[in-house]
Amino acid sequence: MDHAVEAEGLEREFKGGIRAVDGVDLAVSRGEVYGFLGPNGAGKSTTVRMLATLLRPTGGRARVAGRDVVAEAAAVRRSIGVALQDAAIDPYMTGRELLHLQAVLHGFGRAVGRRRAVELLERVDLEGAADRRVGTYSGGMRRRLDLALALVHEPEVLFLDEPTTGLDPISRLTLWEEVRRLNADSGTTVFLTTQYLEEADQLAARVGIIDGGRIVAEGSPAELKAQVGDPTLELALERPEEEVRAAEVLRRFGELQPSRDGHVVARLPGGASALPAVVRALDEAAVVVTGLDLELPSLDDVFVAKTGRRLEAEGDDPTHSPAAAAT
Amino acid sequence: MRLAAAQTAALARRSVVGTLRTPQALFPSLFFPLVLMAIFTGSFGSAPGTIPGFPPVRGFLDFALAGAVLQGILIGGTTAGAAFALDIEGGFFDRLVASPVARGAILLGRLAGGVALAMFQTLLFLAIGIAFGARVEGGVAGVALLLVLACLLAVAVSGLGIVLALRTGSAEAVQGTFPLFFALLFFSSAFFPRETMTGWFKVVADLNPISYLVEAMRDQIVVGVEPGPTLIGLGVVIGLAALAVTGCALAFRRRLAAAP
Repeated sequence: MDHAVEAEGLEREFKGGIRAVDGVDLAVSRGEVYGFLGPNGAGKSTTVRMLATLLRPTGGRARVAGRDVVAEAAAVRRSIGVALQDAAIDPYMTGRELLHLQAVLHGFGRAVGRRRAVELLERVDLEGAADRRVGTYSGGMRRRLDLALALVHEPEVLFLDEPTTGLDPISRLTLWEEVRRLNADSGTTVFLTTQYLEEADQLAARVGIIDGGRIVAEGSPAELKAQVGDPTLELALERPEEEVRAAEVLRRFGELQPSRDGHVVARLPGGASALPAVVRALDEAAVVVTGLDLELPSLDDVFVAKTGRRLEAEGDDPTHSPAAAAT
Repeated sequence: MRLAAAQTAALARRSVVGTLRTPQALFPSLFFPLVLMAIFTGSFGSAPGTIPGFPPVRGFLDFALAGAVLQGILIGGTTAGAAFALDIEGGFFDRLVASPVARGAILLGRLAGGVALAMFQTLLFLAIGIAFGARVEGGVAGVALLLVLACLLAVAVSGLGIVLALRTGSAEAVQGTFPLFFALLFFSSAFFPRETMTGWFKVVADLNPISYLVEAMRDQIVVGVEPGPTLIGLGVVIGLAALAVTGCALAFRRRLAAAP
């Protein structure tokens, strides 16, 4: 019972021999927020469906909340909350009706169901829309209702499959806040899949990067970024003729990198803690600096390093540029 | 058991509410049978007495009423299957399966919703028929038997729709069976007695289980409660319902095991 989610060599092969999940090992501690990061078709959803008892593994084994997902599926279902992709919600029912229904499905009586519905509607800030049909909800409202539905029975482990895909930035922030609060207040373990680096970076204490059905890297966002390389420091100079002198200074702290005119870029293994020394040295060398930018590697860099491809396609939602995850 | 019953009731309530809130789904199952009944009654109003082969009835409306009830249930039944397929398409089915709800309640809830709709339709059609002068010779017992036959038919038709939904996961595929039901209906004695038919048409109608069902229903209205046709109709519809429910259970298990 050490782990909320554990898997050993988990596999799922579909008809035609396609291995969507190809030997995934997991060990998610109780109370942890774990981010499962990967592009479309990497095997994230298939893994979650197996962990949520919706799909039988074709190899390996997995335990959720201490129970085997195949042999003890019924017990697993009592311990988990599931909000799958695309907010699976009946458009003809109202939010409150769906919460009542979900409470009955989890074996609560009417009175408890009503009380839980009121609590949860307040929690996800949907009291005003509670008696409207879900068909009239915005994307963000649906996701919040979906989350509330997954929480009716106060699950030990919450599975969120791409909870903010397709949401506008504000709705996304609201949902992130809710997930953080949930984890902090109730200690709920959260297993989250995402194709957004920023989301994994913001929410997850630990991230597993999945590609082609296998985990290619795992660790805290900071650890993963550290594996890729050092932060880079970029100086903007007031006088371009000081470039050579500035470069000589920076060389003492780390390897120089190509840069634009009037700028000097170098790796800075010491990161932010090396900055005061750099600033002093620049001052001693009488270099006038107008801008100083420390870039930390992003999870995208990790993904590129591990798979040779970028995670987020060109032209994707601009609010998810890798830059947002850096600095 | 009590828990499973509560879950079934909650899911049945959801399917009824869902149907009532989608008038576009409900409308065809009420509109077409009533229109057809009105047309036939208008065209053949006084004919039954003069056409050879027709049973002795007071008017065509009495004769046509059972056909309308049956038609309404056939059309309404595809609604249950299509709604179930929409649940699969939309992911609501996954939410149900990932919750600790009794597996049987997922099927029974939807079937019970189909049955409730059939009861409503049957009573509505009878009320309209009676308002326009039809008389149910079988009285209260006849109405009760009609309802039983109608509900069992609803189980059979909804069940078949659910099997298709489980196998295809597509509402379009389920709705695609609509013409099949129409064929079953028209190549039966739903609108004219088998005694008036000849040749291959009569052979088909003789083989069509719907014929025996509609005749059992019609008997309650035009003749009164008679054990013979009633038992045959009940036997046919119980057989169909049992087949459909078994099919549902098998398709459900198969879907959960294979889970595409």
